[in-house]
Amino acid sequence: MQPAQLIRGTLDVLILKTLVAAPQHGYGVASLIEERTSGALQIDDGALYQSLHRMEERGWVESEWGHAESGKRARFYRLTPPGRKRLKQGTAEWVRYVEAVFKVLEPGTAT
Amino acid sequence: MSWSRIWPYRSRRRVRSEVDEELSYHLARRVEALRRQGYSAAEAEQEALRRFGDVRRTRAVCVAADERREGRMKRRDWWHEVWGDARIGLRVLGRRPGFAVAATATLALAIGTATAMYSVADHVLFRSLPFEAPERAVTLWEYDTREGAEREVAPGNFLDWRRRVTRLERLALAEPTGADLTGAGTPEALRGWAVTVDWFAAVGVKPLLGRTFNADDYQADLGAVVLSYELWQRRFGGDASIVGRTIQLERSAVPVVGVLRPHLQYPTQDAEIWLPKRFRPGEVEDRRSDYMLVVGRLSDGTTLGQAREELAAVARWQSEEYPVTNSNYAIVARPLPEQLLGSARPALLLLLGAVGFVLLIACANVSGLLLARGADRERELAVRGALGCGRARLVRQLLTESAVLAALSGLAGLALAAALVGMLPRLAPAGLPRIEAVALDLRIAGAAVLLTMAAAVLFGVMPALRASRTDLMMPLRAARTLRPGQGLRRGLVIGELALALILVTGAGLLARSFVRLLDNELGFDPERRATLQVFIWDLNPTSEERVLVVRRLLERFEAVPGVLSAAAVSALPLHPHQITSQTQLLPLGEPDPLPGSERIVQVTVATPGYLRTLAIPLRRGRPFSDADDARATRVILVNETLARAFFGSEDPVGRRVRTGPPGSQVEREIVGVVGDVRAGGFESPPAPELYVPHAQSGTGSLTFVVHTRGRAGLVMTALRDALWAEEPEQSIYHEATLEELLAGTLAARRFHLLLLAAFSLLSFALAALGTYALISYATRLRFPEIGVRMALGARSGEIARMIVAEGVGLALPGIALGVLGSLLLTRLLAGMLYGVSATDPLTLVQVCAAILAVAATAAYLPARRAARLDPARTLRADG
Repeated sequence: MQPAQLIRGTLDVLILKTLVAAPQHGYGVASLIEERTSGALQIDDGALYQSLHRMEERGWVESEWGHAESGKRARFYRLTPPGRKRLKQGTAEWVRYVEAVFKVLEPGTAT
Repeated sequence: MSWSRIWPYRSRRRVRSEVDEELSYHLARRVEALRRQGYSAAEAEQEALRRFGDVRRTRAVCVAADERREGRMKRRDWWHEVWGDARIGLRVLGRRPGFAVAATATLALAIGTATAMYSVADHVLFRSLPFEAPERAVTLWEYDTREGAEREVAPGNFLDWRRRVTRLERLALAEPTGADLTGAGTPEALRGWAVTVDWFAAVGVKPLLGRTFNADDYQADLGAVVLSYELWQRRFGGDASIVGRTIQLERSAVPVVGVLRPHLQYPTQDAEIWLPKRFRPGEVEDRRSDYMLVVGRLSDGTTLGQAREELAAVARWQSEEYPVTNSNYAIVARPLPEQLLGSARPALLLLLGAVGFVLLIACANVSGLLLARGADRERELAVRGALGCGRARLVRQLLTESAVLAALSGLAGLALAAALVGMLPRLAPAGLPRIEAVALDLRIAGAAVLLTMAAAVLFGVMPALRASRTDLMMPLRAARTLRPGQGLRRGLVIGELALALILVTGAGLLARSFVRLLDNELGFDPERRATLQVFIWDLNPTSEERVLVVRRLLERFEAVPGVLSAAAVSALPLHPHQITSQTQLLPLGEPDPLPGSERIVQVTVATPGYLRTLAIPLRRGRPFSDADDARATRVILVNETLARAFFGSEDPVGRRVRTGPPGSQVEREIVGVVGDVRAGGFESPPAPELYVPHAQSGTGSLTFVVHTRGRAGLVMTALRDALWAEEPEQSIYHEATLEELLAGTLAARRFHLLLLAAFSLLSFALAALGTYALISYATRLRFPEIGVRMALGARSGEIARMIVAEGVGLALPGIALGVLGSLLLTRLLAGMLYGVSATDPLTLVQVCAAILAVAATAAYLPARRAARLDPARTLRADG
């Protein structure tokens, strides 16, 4: 099976979700998403960074330089209160969307 | 600790390098992970890049987003700091509320009045007229070189000019006219102008609707009419379909071809209709009836000077060709804008100058206050400097304080200006063009605020610079010596006093003129008199009919409740539309005068009740009576000026005279002498005048005037109804009370006097405040010295005198400068003065005394405070 393409705007929500537990650097975000989806979603790493920087511009995340486990300098992103709000909103939207799609595709209702 | 504490923002290069670092860290980690999965080094790199996607694009997007964020942060922080500084500024101001209120009020007053005045002046004077290329339009006038009088133009002369002048094109003429509008609504006499075909192009007016006249309109049987915007709105509700329809003018249907734009029209703002001017057969050769207006445009590439040269040549030619009518004759050409603004311009420029003075005084005042404050704080500033506060930081703080002050004053000033701009048009005389459309000009307001801000900043920051530049220890050591700023401050106050003196002198001269003017006897009583002007020619074609209808109308008017008496007259004093006529007068028994030396007098036709109704005194003989009708002996009354001019000290009653042009002279008998009347208002000198009874003249151009018991305006409706009860078709040309008409003749003077008086009062108050502030400050500095003096036995009276003398010492150089300035500047007022010279010594002396008194009073308050000092306490306290 080919990895699924991502619907626009969904990436933001996914990234925000990975930052809930703790601040992450970009590579950490990418690894987390890969891990959780087991590679089912195909996301360009570049798109991920673009999204991170745009969200920082909007104030949903903020960044700080820190040291990764290896000891190298890395840029860590942290969720801000507006980002948390956006995550909640985006999740709810996504759930509503999925439910709507699922209602149509539900086997019982097919003729 | 890096300097990022001071400058927390990242440079562009830094933003880019951070993005690069971030992305390369990612790629390194990815390669590492792939290697662990078994990829070779080259494969891992390739795979990492593949998974990344477009590196260059990602880098660009990230850099751009970071840079935007950085910029926004910088701006937000900057505003944050400004707001913080402003809050500190407000707090510092609030610590000395007296200073804050004085400075803000001073600046606000000055900014407000200056902005309002400049808005009005800019609108009226400097913004271009609503005409096309108005500077190319030229008005032409006849000039009588013998009498030095400018006249309007006779039709024959205009036609000569149109044929012979080449440096002016589109020469056009307008003749005052009027027409009765009937049809829907009450009949109404409309004022208007009959114009030749090029008129609108010459003035530079384009229609709002339809078109102006073309050559066909001058041939058409029905004629054509162009409406003013105001008439179109008032009578036709702004209905655009009026163009092409007809309206009832003089009881015939005339097609409307166009509607003009609102506001300023030339020649008159109250013109309502425009008709095609057709020359009557006699007019073409008529070079005498000078009552028409002429406008033309400079031809391409021609200057006004060249046009004037050509006109002079044409005038010379006319003088040779028509010596009877055109000797002593010249042509005057004046640009249209000058013609329109001629009288308003000098007065407005003067008021602008005056308000500029007020602004200067206010700036000087606030500068003085700031200097004093700066001097007061010099110690504080020096201490802070000594503690390591940088000069830039000190300057920034003072700058902010000044800016806060200027901003507060600016806001208050703008509010004041808006209120004044709303008020001024209502105060202004009717003649100011387009005053009704004046709006607050924000550019001007901005300029005023900037100017005051510049002054505030300059004088607010100076002490800081001085404090930081000079030896920091100096002010600490010599805390109580006179500071260098004092000399500058004295200069400022002296300048203020001088400026105030000049303004007050100007206002004083205007006020004196006004009083002189009101001292003039009008010769009649304008109070409680209502007037109604009608033209009864059309409805009553014969003289007998007109005499009868006037008699019946007067009976009806006198029957109106509240009317004491009624009369009709051909030319009512003060009336803006009075139709005056002149005649030659020759006492019987005197030889015929040589041509050119005939003696001309005013002729006024009046009904018998006229003298009583206007309260014009009878000096000798008898007034007119009802018996003086068409069948009786022809009689006249003469005024005192005429009696003196023609009969010297002899009694003219019973003398017989001939009136009228040679060939159609009429013999009349003088039956009485009446008091002089100033027909044009307080400013106009009485002219020789004779009165003819209406029953022996029968003129149809009449103004009815009634004397009322109560307010004249109250009977207006009843008068109109009485008129229409007798003559339902009769239209009314003009109605007003005599008091309104009188106020109209004084409106311009009153406006100028009022404004100049307000400005000079303001300047006076500001100068007084400035003087007070300086003396009281200087006195405070001298408290220790005064304490010593008192301890040594000086009495409080001596101390007070010493301080007051200091105030006078400021006033004297101020007065000297001010008198000098007045002598130079009041000359500009000369045209607005009446019965008083621009260098009137009495006014100057009074104003000097007033300035001296103000300065002494301003000094007296601190003087009293100093005199009450307790020497023991001042000596003890050093801080």
